[in-house]
Amino acid sequence: MLNRRDFLRVVGIGSAGAAAGFALAELNAPNPARLIPYLIPPEDIIPGVANWYASVCRQCGAGCGIVVKVMEGRAKKIEGNPIHPISKGGLCARGQAGLQVLYNPGRIKNPLRRIGERGKGEFQEITWEEGLTILSKNLKELRDRGEGDGLYLLTSPISGHLKLLLKNFMNAYGSSKYFAYELINYENLRFANNITFGQNSLPHYDIENTNLLLSFGADFLTTWISPVNYSYAYGHMRQGRPGLRGKVIQVEPRLSLTGANADEWVAVKPGTEGLLALAIAYEIVEGGYYKGEDRGKWLAALERFTPRDVAKVTEVAEERIIGIAREFSKTKPSLAIGGENVSSYENGVSNLVAINILNYLAGNNIGISGGIIPNRDIEKSSFIPVNSLMQDASKGKIKTLILYDTNPVFTTPGAVKVEGQLKNIPLIVSLSSFMDETTLLSDLILPTHTYLEDWGDNFTEPSVGYPVATIMQPAVNPVFNTKSVGDIFIHLARNLAGVFQKEIPWTDFGAYLQASWKMVYNKHKDMKEIRETTFEEFWNNLLSKGGWWKEESQAGKKVYISVNKITPYLPKGPASFDGDDKDYPFYLTLYPHSSYMDGRGANLPWLQELPDAMTSVVWGTWIEMNPERATTMGIKEGDVIEVESPFGKIYAPVCLYAGQRPDTISIPIGQGHKFYGKYAEGRGANPLDLLPFKVDERTGAVSHNSTKVKITKTNSPGRLVKMAGWTKELGRDIVQTITPEEFQVKEG
Amino acid sequence: MKRFLLYLTVAIITFTIGYNINLIYFSDRAPEQPINFSHKVHAADNSIPCLYCHIYADKSTISGVPSVQKCMGCHKIIKTDSPEIQKVVSYWEKKEPIPWIKVYNLPDYVYFSHKRHVKASVPCQRCHGDVAKMDRITRQTVIFGVPFLRVSPLKMGWCLDCHKNGAKEFIGGPVRNGTDCWTCHK
Repeated sequence: MLNRRDFLRVVGIGSAGAAAGFALAELNAPNPARLIPYLIPPEDIIPGVANWYASVCRQCGAGCGIVVKVMEGRAKKIEGNPIHPISKGGLCARGQAGLQVLYNPGRIKNPLRRIGERGKGEFQEITWEEGLTILSKNLKELRDRGEGDGLYLLTSPISGHLKLLLKNFMNAYGSSKYFAYELINYENLRFANNITFGQNSLPHYDIENTNLLLSFGADFLTTWISPVNYSYAYGHMRQGRPGLRGKVIQVEPRLSLTGANADEWVAVKPGTEGLLALAIAYEIVEGGYYKGEDRGKWLAALERFTPRDVAKVTEVAEERIIGIAREFSKTKPSLAIGGENVSSYENGVSNLVAINILNYLAGNNIGISGGIIPNRDIEKSSFIPVNSLMQDASKGKIKTLILYDTNPVFTTPGAVKVEGQLKNIPLIVSLSSFMDETTLLSDLILPTHTYLEDWGDNFTEPSVGYPVATIMQPAVNPVFNTKSVGDIFIHLARNLAGVFQKEIPWTDFGAYLQASWKMVYNKHKDMKEIRETTFEEFWNNLLSKGGWWKEESQAGKKVYISVNKITPYLPKGPASFDGDDKDYPFYLTLYPHSSYMDGRGANLPWLQELPDAMTSVVWGTWIEMNPERATTMGIKEGDVIEVESPFGKIYAPVCLYAGQRPDTISIPIGQGHKFYGKYAEGRGANPLDLLPFKVDERTGAVSHNSTKVKITKTNSPGRLVKMAGWTKELGRDIVQTITPEEFQVKEG
Repeated sequence: MKRFLLYLTVAIITFTIGYNINLIYFSDRAPEQPINFSHKVHAADNSIPCLYCHIYADKSTISGVPSVQKCMGCHKIIKTDSPEIQKVVSYWEKKEPIPWIKVYNLPDYVYFSHKRHVKASVPCQRCHGDVAKMDRITRQTVIFGVPFLRVSPLKMGWCLDCHKNGAKEFIGGPVRNGTDCWTCHK
């Protein structure tokens, strides 16, 4: 038992313990959270309730309408605009990752001036006033010297009023050198369509309503032209019409995601797709499916391309060619499209012309639902052949180069050596949101808004048969000290004064855009589709809807293709490849990747960690190789190999991919950045380094399927990071198979 | 030795008790706010409805602290000589928001919507206590000047209690899907 002394001790110790515990808890108490009210509450914001702003996606050229979810001034999510005729509520992974463009830590936060040697990456932060003064002083001097034509402006292919503003600026300045460049462009297709259909603009391919789609290397579900719109259309064609399921035949040497979705895959030999199309055309005419009066003429023009002869070159069986031709002519409506893969050979235009005439011969699928629906002609594209730009650079014609949203150092073939050519230019100014390979070489960097912070509009090309204009409005306030491209040029115009003030009198780009749309409204306000009685009402509706379009059906405009006119454009033989067959046994086909496109998406971690749809590889470059061919060469999956072309070499791990012809290897474009933020830098390899400087002569578009390569196994360490670990079933009977013999016995 | 163990045990037990008493009853007692704002003066003496200031309570998940502009809306004229009001004025003139201290704080993993509760006509006092009697906002009932048990512990059991039984008086029965995990943990 306790005595008195012990009792007191216990009580004392107990109280001290309790006090100590209480005090410790008091010390441990977390800092109180603060409630910070608005000073003046914005009228249109309720904290905790999202505002959605309609705008346009600029992650590729498709021009999908988007809606951006904004809470308390922060963009939180991007979705497709449900009423927009292009995106129809859908949005691809690149579009979703637009948030990481906006909040990317690699964004340029202030205007920069080069202080070190060019290309060393030593820059000094300056104010906007300084930056714009440097540029306008340079422009003034250039013009005073009478060298106004030495100002070159190179942008990505843009449309809408920004393009108009840039054009006006260049005109006022007295320079005709406003150009657009992009690796993945549709110049060949545009050219081929002009030859065959007399249409300068890209048409609407009505995949939605077709019954047989014959696609030559068009990966329309991931990258080709307008993937979101085509994915929607594809879904409708397959499952949206009860009792009717359209068929897809995909012709390509490498099985793309679209190929994997097709009913039939024709693993054609690279470079012979055009010939295959001609053999099909021959069979259509020969078999009597083409009923035109000039049937004899067509037969004469195509006589060299009998299925029997072409079968040898293309390695597609004669019966199969004939079968496709018959099915293509009998099925109505049917549609043949030629994609990125066939347009990227050095005879890209010829291939596309050959594919286009299939639509004509098999029952004139032009202007009908489920065929090719022409769009209204738009102005000529300002695409510049990369060779002529490089010539101008080497001759010293370019005095000042302004770049906007384009990265030619990364997206041109290694053999072009853009980097060396740019050295001849006295002043390079880059208007860019990110530090990339080209911006690194510039002398003055004026950081631009991303598309979520900027005003603008976009005239979709190709549209869906009727014109679609989408408005871009700032969903959030600028995150960094950046400016709108339009504002930069308006500011320059103000600094240069004189004639510019007359041409470009606006105070900022938003005002210019509104003024331009007021003109559009005044011109068209009598149309019955425009119900708004005042411009303010019209403008508000424009912003809340996301744009302006008028659904209308296309009158079936039949075309006539004359044999004599078309013959010179038909392919003469297989596309040529650099590197002889003996030393360089593999064809190299490069494809724009669904996540990185031409490389612009590589700095977004969401896209890096997104497994490739076919191989499930993440965070790197891989080389797709036929498993059997690899085994005979002693190459295992994950081995790092050296790919060498006559022009360069790269190293990357092998990914065994059964959807690959044995004589071909494929590499996705987009990785291998030397300078593009921490997520992209030093990751993978840039396969464009392997390419010769080869373009389609007719358009100047770069051919990225133009060389053969050899591969050597190396012992270099490297890692292939794949999400799907195993391609074997391990006896689990996941895919049930049956031999044709058993099938016949069972099903009769 | 045996005695020493006894002392140690007593010390550990009382330490734990002391620590927990603080945690449970005193951890979020009424903090001193940057301005000595009185709900009693506003809500009781002048009968200003809650939603006059907390304007988002029926529109959003949060109820909303009144903006400084809102305070100034009245206090440009009313009681301008009070030193506390002059503090408000100085914030307004500096164009700075008033950094109030949060008393009712829910963890990130709880989704709570004021709008749902206000629309179901749950009175504010049900969770926030009789604010109209408080000079300084507190989460404890005050008995003889000593802060005692909290009005609302903001613990899950307390939420569920009302979702299961207490909601009768407002919506006539238990909350639909009221005990579903995803109702509050989204």
